[in-house]
Amino acid sequence: MKRGYVYTIVFMLIVSAVFTFFLAGTNALTAERIAENSRLDEMKSVLYAFNLDAEGTNEAIAQRFTQAVQKTETSNLTYYTHIENGETKGYAVPFAGGGLWGTIRGWLAVSPDLAQVQGLVFTDQNETPGLGGRIVERWYTDQFRGVKLDLEGPLTYGVKDGVQLDAITGATQSSNAVLRILNEVRAEVLPLVEVK
Amino acid sequence: MPVESNKSIIKRNMFTENQVLRAILGICSSLAVTNNMSNSLVMGLGVTFATALSSLTLSAMRNLIPHRIRMIVQTLVIASWVIVVDIVIRAYLPDVSKQLGPYVGLIITNCIVMGRAEAYAQKNPPLPSFMDGLFAGLGYTMVLLIVSFIRELLGFGTVFGIQVMPESFEVWTIMVMPPAAFFIIGSMIWFITARKIKREQKGGK
Repeated sequence: MKRGYVYTIVFMLIVSAVFTFFLAGTNALTAERIAENSRLDEMKSVLYAFNLDAEGTNEAIAQRFTQAVQKTETSNLTYYTHIENGETKGYAVPFAGGGLWGTIRGWLAVSPDLAQVQGLVFTDQNETPGLGGRIVERWYTDQFRGVKLDLEGPLTYGVKDGVQLDAITGATQSSNAVLRILNEVRAEVLPLVEVK
Repeated sequence: MPVESNKSIIKRNMFTENQVLRAILGICSSLAVTNNMSNSLVMGLGVTFATALSSLTLSAMRNLIPHRIRMIVQTLVIASWVIVVDIVIRAYLPDVSKQLGPYVGLIITNCIVMGRAEAYAQKNPPLPSFMDGLFAGLGYTMVLLIVSFIRELLGFGTVFGIQVMPESFEVWTIMVMPPAAFFIIGSMIWFITARKIKREQKGGK
């Protein structure tokens, strides 16, 4: 069936409008829930970085988070402080940097004197599934707990001060990207934390 | 043209004209995600869902679509469905969404989705098109699971993340790397094609 240009253009406009409306509607209906999920996800990540219990129901996590963690916003940096009985236990700063395929984001928790890693968590990464994607696995992130940051020179893989850091086989680029990002955080982000 | 029976749609999409092994479509994602069974399953179901719904929608409006802009319309419909699926999963199944994250873009660009729209949905009524899309996706999922079973078992010693090989098992790192998928999918295509040729020769063709 042969149809004119007018039909083609009108058809395309209508189809685009219908599907755009459909997408916008779905988005509007779920936006609140998605925002809620991402807030919860951030709480879980920060709790995990502070090596606190990050399991349980959504309400339990939210409650634990508000009890133990305080948000600080300065002009350059938004970070979280872990406070227990009025005493500062550590800071969690956000980080972002280039991985192999995309930006790697996450949180780095450090001791009150900024000299030691308490924990590391990745919230967003697009590394190769099964290779670089394994940076999110617990065995990898957990090995950073206790790593010293007041060393001369950059962090490297291998054994240093009795703490061993392993890279991931087959994912050299992603492994190195993580260390590069952490070294950048150490040099550029940590000095912005207002130590009390 | 008479409507194809469900049985024939299933058999054709799962076996005789499997999209990956016979039509060599969807190869990119078959190579990329198959070193891990749970990723393959999620990817397979995503593609199945997208293909089935896109074929259904496109077939329902097939008589209205002007021929010269049909591909633009197909892309629009496919992308819309994939985004809707992504939004819904993000809202209600946040854990699955984390796994699916990097694959959503791969679903939109999967050749099988558009391949079925072009080859089937634009000429057939909605219901058979839906079945065709559904089983084309399931045929793809089946191949992904077979490949990832071999790769995960030999590459990590696990199946769906559960350790099955003994501790002493030396993992084959090559299986985790992309080339392994080339070897495995290549061997599967070889096997299936060889069998088909043999059958045709026996049939006196």
